[in-house]
Order: sequence, then C-alpha cells, then structure tokens
Amino acid sequence: MMRDILFHIKSLIAGHFTVFKHSFKPAVTVEYPDEKPIIPDRFRGKHTFDENACIGCKTCMRVCPASAVEIFKDGNKKTILFDYKKCIFCGNCKYYCPKSAIGMSKQYELATDKVEDLKIEMGKKDNE
Amino acid sequence: MTETMKINIGPQHPSTHGVLRLVTELDGEDIVSVTPVIGYLHRGLEKSAESRTYLQYLPMVDRVDYLSGFFNSYAYITAVENICNIDVPKRAEYIRVLCMEMNRMTSHLLWFGTYILDLGATSPLFYSFRDREPLMSLFEELTGQRMMYNYFTFGGVRFDVTKEWLDKILKYTDEMPAKLDDYEKIITSNPIFLTRTKNKGILSKNTALKYSITGPCLRASGVNLDFRKKFGYSIYNELDFEPPVETDGDTFARYKVRIAEMRMCLSVIRQCVDYLKNNSGEISAKVNSVALKVPEGEYTTYVESPRGLLNCYVKSDGTNKPYRVKWRTGSFYLVQMLPEILKGHSMHDIMAIFGSLDVILPEVDR
Repeated sequence: MMRDILFHIKSLIAGHFTVFKHSFKPAVTVEYPDEKPIIPDRFRGKHTFDENACIGCKTCMRVCPASAVEIFKDGNKKTILFDYKKCIFCGNCKYYCPKSAIGMSKQYELATDKVEDLKIEMGKKDNE
Repeated sequence: MTETMKINIGPQHPSTHGVLRLVTELDGEDIVSVTPVIGYLHRGLEKSAESRTYLQYLPMVDRVDYLSGFFNSYAYITAVENICNIDVPKRAEYIRVLCMEMNRMTSHLLWFGTYILDLGATSPLFYSFRDREPLMSLFEELTGQRMMYNYFTFGGVRFDVTKEWLDKILKYTDEMPAKLDDYEKIITSNPIFLTRTKNKGILSKNTALKYSITGPCLRASGVNLDFRKKFGYSIYNELDFEPPVETDGDTFARYKVRIAEMRMCLSVIRQCVDYLKNNSGEISAKVNSVALKVPEGEYTTYVESPRGLLNCYVKSDGTNKPYRVKWRTGSFYLVQMLPEILKGHSMHDIMAIFGSLDVILPEVDR
C-alpha cells in the first residue's frame, strides 16, 4: 500500500516536471489573420487558366471527379468555368492537362457570402 | 432486477471522430446492453465508383478514412495495377511505403492526443498535435495538401522526393524518440490513467478472432498478426521490423501497442529514407492514366492500415469504369464488437474503452 502511494507520488512529480519543461518550448502556432502561414509551391488553391495554351481537348472535364469544371469553345476563344461549390481541389485537372493550361495558385481564402461568387469564369475578358 | 434506463450517447459526442449513436441500457450506472447505430456519415463511396472512371475515383478514395489517406489510395491503386499488370518501379514503392508509415505516425499521434483528452488530460493533446505538425507540413510540401493527398498514381507516384525533404524526415526521426519518452513520462505511469485503463475493456483472444478484429487491437490481445509481415506486400519483406504484441488485451495494452508501434514506424521510416538517399531510379511506370485500359478481372488488396486490415476489392468488366468497388475497413468490426466489450462496465468507462479502439466513423460508414 505504502509502496503504491510512493510510486504514484513519484510518477505524478515526474509527469508534472515534464509538462513544466515543455512550457518553455517555442510556440509552433501561427496567429492566422494577422500572420499568414507559409504555403508550399505545390499547394492546390484557386485555379489559374491560360487561354492561349488551352487547345479545348476537354481532358479536365473527363478527369474531374466532381464535374466542377467546364470548357466552352467558341471558335478560337476558350473559356473555363470553375464551380467551387463542387470542386474538391484534388488537382486532377492540373495534373492531366496536356498543355499545362490549368494551374493552381496559392490562394486559399475563397470564402464568400454570395453563392454566385463561387462560379468563376476565366479566360473571357482578355479575348473580348 | 431494478428497472433499467435507456440513454442515448451521441449522435454528436466530442469523443467520437464523426457521428456515432450508442443506445445504452443502464442499470444504475452499470451497462446492461449497448446498441451502436451507424450510418450517419454514409457518403456512398462504393456506389459512386460505378459512375466514375478509374482516374476520377482516385481522388475520392483518400476520403474513406481521412486520417490515413495514403493507405486507402494504396489499396485502391494496387488493386487496379494488379488487374492491369502494371509493374511499379522500386523507388516508387519505397516512396509509397515511406508515405504510408509517416501517415501511420500522424494517425497514431492524433489518436494519442484525443484519447488522452477523453480521459481528462489536456497537455498531451497539444504535444501530440505539435509533433504531428512537422509531418503534416512535409506532406503538404510533397503532395500539395495536408490530408487529401491524391499523390499516388497508377504506376507510381506523382512527384519525386528531394534530398532536402528526406533530410527533414531524418531530423524528425532523430528528435521524436525523446518526445515519445516524454509522453510516456506523463501518461504511462500516471495513477489516474492506470486506474481508468488497467483491466478495463478486456478483449480476449477468442472474442477478437471471433469478431475478425485486426490491427493494433488484435495485437494487444496476444495475436501476432500483421499483414505487412504476413504477406510482405510492396517492399515490406525487405524491411526489418517487428510488430509489437501485448497479451493483456485491456485498454492499457492497446495504448502500449500503439506507442510501441510509433517507435517501430520511426525505424521503418529511417530504413526507407536510407534506401531513397542511396538509390535513384524511375518514380512511375509509363501509364496513360486518362485513357486507362483495364482488362476484365478482379483483385483484392490486403493492407495493414492504422486501424486494422484494409481490403479494397475491385472488379472490372473491361469498360473504363469499375463494375464494383468494395471496402473492408478495420473500424467497422471494432464498432460491431462494442456491445460485447462494454457489457458489465460502468457508464463512465464507455469513452475510455471506445477511445482506445481508435474507431474512425467515416471509415465505418464509407
């Protein structure tokens, strides 16, 4: 009995000492809105589109698991429509584009309060 | 016998990863019976495979069990590769195993933090999340995402690893054993933890085998069954490791097995890094993933995931879409066994026992 109590007291002291030791370790968290985290190069954020490179083969539409991307071809003019309500950011459209016309930027702050803002058409303005 | 009372635990309960309802019949504080109600997180992952091509389904499999996405990818991809007879380069296999073992580490670390939190200790949660963070950053650097990787491809992996990236892992594996020692100093001999876990939720060898329990929970009951060792799939037969086994079968034994498995992971990771540093080679076989031709056939993969045996059965009828995909996950069998293991315990032991099984509900429901 006495030995049990001593063992418990010893282990509690050892535990508390370890916790105390750890309280001097540097912080690893980032205070997000004021301080931005470092984003790696391969990060899959909001898409980019190069309408001059696109050949309109529609591979991106075939590989997308969520049908979130659509290509419109009007003569030489190509536009792309991303539906961010559906997109799961798997990056298939980027990885399998034969001409690397689709890219993914480091932009991750895509929250909005208007549902229309989640459908983003790219490649239109430059051609008009 | 006095009148019993029925109490619902869940569907929303902070101790469950996801949504699980336990209809509990209590006599005073003692449990008479428990009925798990599952299905709240059903997403139809098996059915949705049938309306997608093999490549379209690939990013979705990471979501079967979001804490160990690499294992799901591996199970599905090897099934398809075996039907198509694709030879995977050795370097790619090593990268895959390295990623999977790192993933096992993150999964066990998350389990450790949240399980100890369930028992009322707060500090270890922060330590385990802090030590999990370097691995998540490494995953992000390599694959582009922290959890939904989409990194394995048919025939190999998407990007090669760099020397700097491997050096970072080596640094991590050097630092981590001391941190695991610290965890054990806080928890393993703590009297409150010992009282709550020793001789609680005993899973006997026979019950475990009867309910097809696999993974760390089975090894805590004294059965030395590890599919990495048994089948030596991928390049596991070239690696030197010994899965930890405990014989008590109680909650404490499951805790000890997982802590020992984390140390084992570190040694496997080191061996993989050694190979990758000293050998170069192709990282992917030449496969046209977009127009993948899958001949008629079927295949079942056996993968040892952090939560037990993970099976992926793929049947192909020769078209570009799978005819059937079936997942067998370890968590489902653990939930099925809950009524047996909880019977006779006190109500406040439910979460201490349930937490030690490391059940992930999205994996149960798929």
